[in-house]
Amino acid sequence: MLDIERELKLFAEYKIDCVVIGGIAARAHGSSYETNDLDVCYARDSANLDKLAAALASVHASLRGAPKDIPFRLNAETLRHGLNFTFDTDIGPLDLLGEVRGVGFYEECAKDCIRIEMFGEVFCILALAKLILAKRAAGRPKDMAVLAELEAILEFETVNKLRSEDK
Amino acid sequence: MDKVEYTEAERWLIEPKPGTAAARARDFGVDLSLTVSNLRLTPEERIRQLDKFQSVMRELRKAVVTAKQNAGHRAGTETLR
Repeated sequence: MLDIERELKLFAEYKIDCVVIGGIAARAHGSSYETNDLDVCYARDSANLDKLAAALASVHASLRGAPKDIPFRLNAETLRHGLNFTFDTDIGPLDLLGEVRGVGFYEECAKDCIRIEMFGEVFCILALAKLILAKRAAGRPKDMAVLAELEAILEFETVNKLRSEDK
Repeated sequence: MDKVEYTEAERWLIEPKPGTAAARARDFGVDLSLTVSNLRLTPEERIRQLDKFQSVMRELRKAVVTAKQNAGHRAGTETLR
């Protein structure tokens, strides 16, 4: 089961370039949505893939839902040949996305992300407007309720900003 | 329990006007009073709260598994009798 603190600290410990997306990002923006995994978009340069592979090995990551007999060697090369991965780890489920539909790769996700300090580290959270684009692009039934809530939050923030500018 | 007082800004979400995103979210079944509660927190507090909730759920799940195992054990013992 998800242990948010340990998962986020793992990324900080290995100094992995990534942006928190998905349900945890929705939560950070004010959504009441409950999630069961941590989703991140990661940078695909060689140095980052090396760090990512080491971090995943340290928590015994295995492909979620894949048959046990499927050969899977967890290293930077494997990560380079794939793009999006879903893992089970000792500290909970972890989804790694090389590209976020509706937004793009890490560089696009990292632009104008919000930086929050938590558990003694600083983490990048996908900007609200981009999170909405990602949820729209995903278009899964389970995303629809959280999408409606995120759009309401964006509207709320916009109205508040306009009100404070009027004062 | 004290009645929750909403600010004028929060009423935008609690009592949404027709045609707004808030009204669509409400019609979708989103409990916007929970959203307002979350918006009163900082982003850090929101995630910490979720982490705490996940931790409670882990304990709950363990307790349920233990209870089921104990119930199964008792049932087995009773069958043997």
